[in-house]
Amino acid sequence: MKIRLMLALLLVLAIVVACAPAPTATPVPPTAAPKPTDAPKPTDAPKPTAAPAATSAPAATTVPPTAAPAATKAPEPTAAPAQPYKGANLRILVANHPWYDYLKTILPDFQKATGINVTLENYAENDLVQKLTTEFTAGGSTVDAFMQRPLQEGKLFAQNGWYVDLNTFIKDAKKTPDTYNFADFQKAAIGTETVKDMLTGIPIVTEQEVLYYRKDLYQAAGLQAPKTLDELEAAAAKLTDKSKQQFGFIARGQGNPAVTQFSSYLYSYGGDWFDQNTKKATLNTPEAIAAFTLFGKLHKNYAPPGTTNMSWPQAVAVFAQGSVASYTDANSIFANLLDPTKSTVAEKTGVVVFPAGPKGSVPYSVTSWGLSIAASSKNKDAAWEFVKWATSKEIVLKEQGVGANPGARASVWADPVGKSKFPADWVAAQVASANGRGYDRPLVVQVGAARDIIGTIITAAINGEDVTAAANKANADFQKLLDSEPK
Amino acid sequence: MAKPQPKKRTAAQVLGDVIFYVVVLIILGFFLAPFLWMVFNSFKTPLQIAKMPPDWIFTPTLANYQNVFSSQKFGNYLWNSIVIGAGSTFFGLVLGLPAAYAIARYKQYGIATAILIARIVPGITFLIPLFILFRQLQMIDTYQSLILAHMLVALPFIVWVMVPFFESIPQELEEAARVDGASILQAFFQIILPISGPGIVTGAILAFVFSWNNFMFSIQLATSNTKTVPVAIYNFIGYAQIDWGGLMAAAVTITLPVLVLALFTQRYVIRGLTAGAVKG
Repeated sequence: MKIRLMLALLLVLAIVVACAPAPTATPVPPTAAPKPTDAPKPTDAPKPTAAPAATSAPAATTVPPTAAPAATKAPEPTAAPAQPYKGANLRILVANHPWYDYLKTILPDFQKATGINVTLENYAENDLVQKLTTEFTAGGSTVDAFMQRPLQEGKLFAQNGWYVDLNTFIKDAKKTPDTYNFADFQKAAIGTETVKDMLTGIPIVTEQEVLYYRKDLYQAAGLQAPKTLDELEAAAAKLTDKSKQQFGFIARGQGNPAVTQFSSYLYSYGGDWFDQNTKKATLNTPEAIAAFTLFGKLHKNYAPPGTTNMSWPQAVAVFAQGSVASYTDANSIFANLLDPTKSTVAEKTGVVVFPAGPKGSVPYSVTSWGLSIAASSKNKDAAWEFVKWATSKEIVLKEQGVGANPGARASVWADPVGKSKFPADWVAAQVASANGRGYDRPLVVQVGAARDIIGTIITAAINGEDVTAAANKANADFQKLLDSEPK
Repeated sequence: MAKPQPKKRTAAQVLGDVIFYVVVLIILGFFLAPFLWMVFNSFKTPLQIAKMPPDWIFTPTLANYQNVFSSQKFGNYLWNSIVIGAGSTFFGLVLGLPAAYAIARYKQYGIATAILIARIVPGITFLIPLFILFRQLQMIDTYQSLILAHMLVALPFIVWVMVPFFESIPQELEEAARVDGASILQAFFQIILPISGPGIVTGAILAFVFSWNNFMFSIQLATSNTKTVPVAIYNFIGYAQIDWGGLMAAAVTITLPVLVLALFTQRYVIRGLTAGAVKG
């Protein structure tokens, strides 16, 4: 009896499977658009073996009508001539990012204005890279445009020929009117997106390294916000009282993730990862060793225990609970610290430009995310319409002024609306660092491996081991990696 | 005394019991702690979650669950996962049960090994070939492609659970049915299958759970319409911000169906797993 019941249940499930495409097609109107033709066709194809297919067949035939409302594919006959790409379908892969969260709310404007159907697919950042890599490697991908992290994947993707050089569109007056004003983009941000004169993408989100500090603690100790790294160290020493679980400093200390936030220390000491011209690693120069030593000392003496296991989520959690006085990290994470629903010290936290080292204050100022067009896309012109729209002054102003996503257009930063979502001191720090170094990690193809190598020096410095020895070893490893890279 | 007293337990026995339960508690605590932490945090605000040491008494909030179901539309993803899980399990059974029976009865161990190889080869090997195939068939982002991909694991699994199970069923049963005039198919459907409940349930549950948890095939072969829960849960991890509360609420949401399923069927699963263990 039980068995018969179970088989009956399974049969019901099978029928459910057969008519499945229908229910999901309806609740996601814009995203359901791209493959309306695909859904009905293969419904009965894959299962010729199954005996109960008899039951699923009639159900399958009901699919096309239910999918119809979502199918925006058929262009309306009323196509206006002002919409040259009307009816085009774009498939765009994006990361889970506040930029996407806001963009999806204004996307209907674009679809209405151009008649282009856009499907946005969102993934966690590493999954996005994996997905893009698989699709591009397999060939014949249907991805038209995608979000990408130029510093992490830029060189690799460029080497594989997966980008369209956007200069071809920018320089074509027919495709890009003057009103787009490409010169408005910050130089450092464009620099990040440029690989060997090729413009791999248009910057959509930028970030710089800043110093977050506790105004109340600094004031109580009679201190000003630190202007130099020496002052930062002195303040950290003064504000550390381990018996009260009070610490002067925190930053990412876990090798690989810490590399990017260590970069501003390195640059401000006059160091760099490697010499761009000679391709010689420079991780063991006196400047670099001094920077590593200071970074290690700050962690070892003035930070809470366990920073060698901390990336930003852990460091943020500690700072937001109020036991740390200063924190250097990307300005993009400010909401975690300055939003009262997430931080107990939101009102008491200030933001200043990265403290100066012997060579002045040289924070990184990078494009953390850009929007690119896939070389394999069959709708490149329509995709450019989308990229152009999403990075136009009007949309950047909205993204930045409403969605709080720091963009790369100078005019938007000059506009009061563009600053409205950010605290005044945050904006001041942003503007002061905008012309910083255009990379926060070594610009190589194997970024992950390079970060692991550099991370070993950071770990050694934090653990109080011999920094020079660690730097010499890492330098040799890094040189090997550089030599293995295509010129 | 004439009346037999209930047996007095010695001190050693009592001590043994105490130790037994203490160990059980420790092990339970060890395995349940992360789960409880997840459930607790799904009712907390971001500030409460980050608090160390954690609050044990707090005002619960349902905001995380509202977020999961309204703004993230987790209902869709759950439905996708259910359809794909049920589909791959069902078709895995349709093909796997007769196959397993044939292997068990006619000792086709070569075939069984071939099927097993499909299970042993890492799934990632199939990924790009499957992607290319399904793309050419225009089947990316359909339930069918995901069901087929998940069957790659479900089918061998079901076969390998069922082979020892069928072997443990006395061959005389089938022979008796044949003597009474049943065809092989009739014997299989009317005699063998009805007494194979525990084995079928075991294979089905484990295949379903596999499909439910599968991430790799789902992320490559699904796009927006057929996204499954293990992929969707990453919606809560964004650049420069992680919604821990939403993440925990989503984790609880996707754990519950499997948990309920497991609770109701665990009796069968254990019987099924041990069924072929001792053969007479």
